[in-house]
Amino acid sequence: MNAALFVTVLVIAACGLVYELVAGALASYLLGDSITQFSTVIGTYLFAMGIGSWLSRFVVRGVTARFVSLQLIVAIVGGFSSTILFLAFAYTDAFRLVLYTLVLIIGILVGLEIPLLMRILKDRYEFKDVVANVLTFDYIGALGASLLFPLVLVPYLGLARTALLFGILNGVVALWSTHLFRETLGARRVLQAGCVAVLMALGAGMVGAERITRMTESTLYADQVVFTTTTPYQRIVLTTWRDDMRLFLNGHLQFSSRDEYRYHEALVHPGLASIPTARKVLVLGGGDGMAVREALRHPDVEVTLVELDPEMTRLFSENETLAALNDESLRSDRVRIINADAFQWLADTDEMFDFVIADFPDPSNYAVGKLYTTAFYRLLGQHLSRDGMISVQSTSPLFARTAFWSIVETLRESGFETWPYHVYVPSFGEWGFVLAGKGGYATPNQLPDGLRFLQASQIPQLFEFPLDMTAVAALPNRLDDQILVRYYEREWSRIAK
Amino acid sequence: MSGHPTLGRRDFLAGMASIAIVGCSRKTDPPIEGGFADDGSDWGHAIRDGGGLVEPSGSERVPLVIVGGGIAGLSAAWWLERNGFTDFVLLEAADEAGGNARSGQNDVSAYPWASHYVPVPGPDARHARALFEDLDVLRAGTWNETSLVYSPAVRLFRWGRWSDGFEEALPESPSDRRDFDRFYELVEEARSSGQFTIPSSLGAPSASPLDAISMARWLDDHDLSSPTLRWYVDYTCRDDYGALSGDVSAWAGVHYHASRPDIEEGPLAWPEGNGWIVNRLLERLGGHVRTGEPVWAVSERGSGLRVTTPSARYDCDAVIWAAPTFMASHVVDGAPAVPWSYSPWVTANLTLARQPVGAGIDAAWDNVLFDSPSLGYVVADHQSLRTYPTRSVWTWYMALVDRSPADAREMLLHRSWSDWKETILVDLERAHPDIRACVERIDVMRLGHAMPRPTPGFLSSPERRYFQDASGPLYYAHSDVSGLALFEEAQDRGVRAAERALVRLSG
Repeated sequence: MNAALFVTVLVIAACGLVYELVAGALASYLLGDSITQFSTVIGTYLFAMGIGSWLSRFVVRGVTARFVSLQLIVAIVGGFSSTILFLAFAYTDAFRLVLYTLVLIIGILVGLEIPLLMRILKDRYEFKDVVANVLTFDYIGALGASLLFPLVLVPYLGLARTALLFGILNGVVALWSTHLFRETLGARRVLQAGCVAVLMALGAGMVGAERITRMTESTLYADQVVFTTTTPYQRIVLTTWRDDMRLFLNGHLQFSSRDEYRYHEALVHPGLASIPTARKVLVLGGGDGMAVREALRHPDVEVTLVELDPEMTRLFSENETLAALNDESLRSDRVRIINADAFQWLADTDEMFDFVIADFPDPSNYAVGKLYTTAFYRLLGQHLSRDGMISVQSTSPLFARTAFWSIVETLRESGFETWPYHVYVPSFGEWGFVLAGKGGYATPNQLPDGLRFLQASQIPQLFEFPLDMTAVAALPNRLDDQILVRYYEREWSRIAK
Repeated sequence: MSGHPTLGRRDFLAGMASIAIVGCSRKTDPPIEGGFADDGSDWGHAIRDGGGLVEPSGSERVPLVIVGGGIAGLSAAWWLERNGFTDFVLLEAADEAGGNARSGQNDVSAYPWASHYVPVPGPDARHARALFEDLDVLRAGTWNETSLVYSPAVRLFRWGRWSDGFEEALPESPSDRRDFDRFYELVEEARSSGQFTIPSSLGAPSASPLDAISMARWLDDHDLSSPTLRWYVDYTCRDDYGALSGDVSAWAGVHYHASRPDIEEGPLAWPEGNGWIVNRLLERLGGHVRTGEPVWAVSERGSGLRVTTPSARYDCDAVIWAAPTFMASHVVDGAPAVPWSYSPWVTANLTLARQPVGAGIDAAWDNVLFDSPSLGYVVADHQSLRTYPTRSVWTWYMALVDRSPADAREMLLHRSWSDWKETILVDLERAHPDIRACVERIDVMRLGHAMPRPTPGFLSSPERRYFQDASGPLYYAHSDVSGLALFEEAQDRGVRAAERALVRLSG
């Protein structure tokens, strides 16, 4: 047996294992509970391979041609498996159905491969050598794949591109087989054309993978995951792709380093720059330090940051890459960091502030929803100096219009005057904020230096809402009746579908 | 460190080592600690048996004595203070006041031992509203948002999942729907009759045809046979009376549903349940309250009364008896035995190291398990301002309805803590498969006489009239005389006893 054959077996084995690992890893990423996901995926996959092996007996004629076509089908299905699963998760309710169907199909196809290959080789070599060599390289290929997958493939390529790469390898093996088994192969030209078509499709997929997975929205980590940790409060995931760094908390995109300045400048300056006398600034949430960075651009300001998760503030002050994103603002001696639950902390403190930035995650559940209630804003009002203001990140007035205006209504119900506004943040879409205060508001004439997005002259425009975002009737959100969470859920689930 | 954050080699080795250690040692779930909470049965039995109590040496002259520091007694004291009368003492047998509203506290949360909420009092519940105005829970007609139950209020475990809501989620089949609709129609009729009120002093009759039959019989008479409805009615009877629908009168069974105006808001609740009210009242009235003072005799002395405890004799002009009424026949000269029985309960506070898994929606304040022998559990710290509770305290409730109250109390005396622990975990395991791995501690409270049981005939019984109409110098204030173990009833009875005592003392 020549070396080329060994390599073929090795690659086929590696491809088969990679598809299985991709399915298991993706299911774990998206559904959690990795033990269940991996064990059911592996079980289904092995069982399907059994079905494939059994089915191989029904392949009687043209074994070599069948083997090559089989390779091509595996290349396409396996190569796009990851993309299909991402899309299924984002756009359908039947992720599990798609997952196990796909695993079953790939398993059956892969299960067919080795028996067919052995039958092709049985006439050329002694049977004992065929079995020994094929199985040996099958297992070596599996080892190689299982080591490469976590150490190289997932970190550097991500799941979508890994599957596609191995699809391409499968396609190359198919093309190579048309050469290797040329004596026994009919219709070579047709098969070779098929191979080229498959390789081109996969190559195109490789180029477009980023876009496809982006399409599946922010809940999925299409990019290279560089850091993950699970704290008692949340799962923190950091991804990079080229010069873009993204932070996900519990699967929700928090920022993209490409355009976060738009969000954070808009969150802080329209309000803070309008209060030249502001000294004490409170940032609630926002453990990434970006809002703090913006606040520190005002030279007279001292910042108190109240962030629940100590791991967040630790990461964003100690890690060089992450601290660079917030200009090392969390290390500034003008900043005091408190790791506490914002609501509880406010209820216990006597401190007063001139400007408060409420940068909480979107009100997607009843726990976070507490931080958007009349009870919370009333309490906040008790800690606000006479001319003080609050700036509240308020989800998207376009995608979650009722939710946005419900936040405005909640602030009004809590005794504030409100000035809602919005900006465009490419990675988020149209995003909304609400300024609230009891002493009137005039847009600032001057902004601090170093901004990349806001100009003082354009601030008045932010308060103009186009027709598809103007105020709609919405009820205020109360601790005992969190209507906002229901608005939010209804509106965002419509977007996701 | 440059570049991306990565796992250091040392972290990796430490991680592997800890996995190895866990892998070696963790064959079973972590041990669960706990025991029985002090239920006061020791002094209760001592009073009943009349033995072992020493004659006190001291004696004291005080115009008014309140016996019992539950909601009725504390409400009487609150009313007296509010009306400028301060010459009284409140004697509480246990080491802490509160009665059924007493509460506990650990490093995770405060928690109730029994009663844990108050439905938002209607416009007619004057005394309850006055108290809540005093406590700043009601201000200018608006209820304080932080005292109302936070979203989500209740969820139901059924068909292997938790779903939102309770009553509205129950009917499944068209016949369920039909029976529920009919049931609510009948409840509306009952409500508009004006005979079902909270507190009962607002209009409850002393006799009713519904008092003659059981709730189960009443349902039969109206052809209401839907198993889901029957389960629901049983649930409500267990909830308010600690008994099944076959064991309480139709008057009581209907009262649960028909007695309160339809109010969207609420209920009012706190992490420590009604213990919050107790603690606020004690902050104001604490000076009058003497705990660890079990009253073992009340006898006539001239025109007044003498109240005896192990530490003192109190010579007084009037007594408000706010302890459970069944104790009176053991203590008060001439008091008859109560004709009704009491339902025993077990409650438990579970301290959880983390939230267990559970299919369906996230934890609510009140968590009801369909077809469970328990009443489900209340998440004590649901009413905290924290947004991310990691540890938690759950209060689990069970009325012992499967045998006679006497047999159940006998069982309470002998059943071990670890048997109760198993009962509780098995009950919760259906909804939370990993509950054993989450629970750190289970403290069990045995309540032998938790609630009066308004069996058929309760309302019209002559002995009940005796306690109801007692015209001094001893006034019965406990809510069990009304057959309703409800905060509003206890508060109203306490206040009215205090009003009558004040009239006597000043007249």
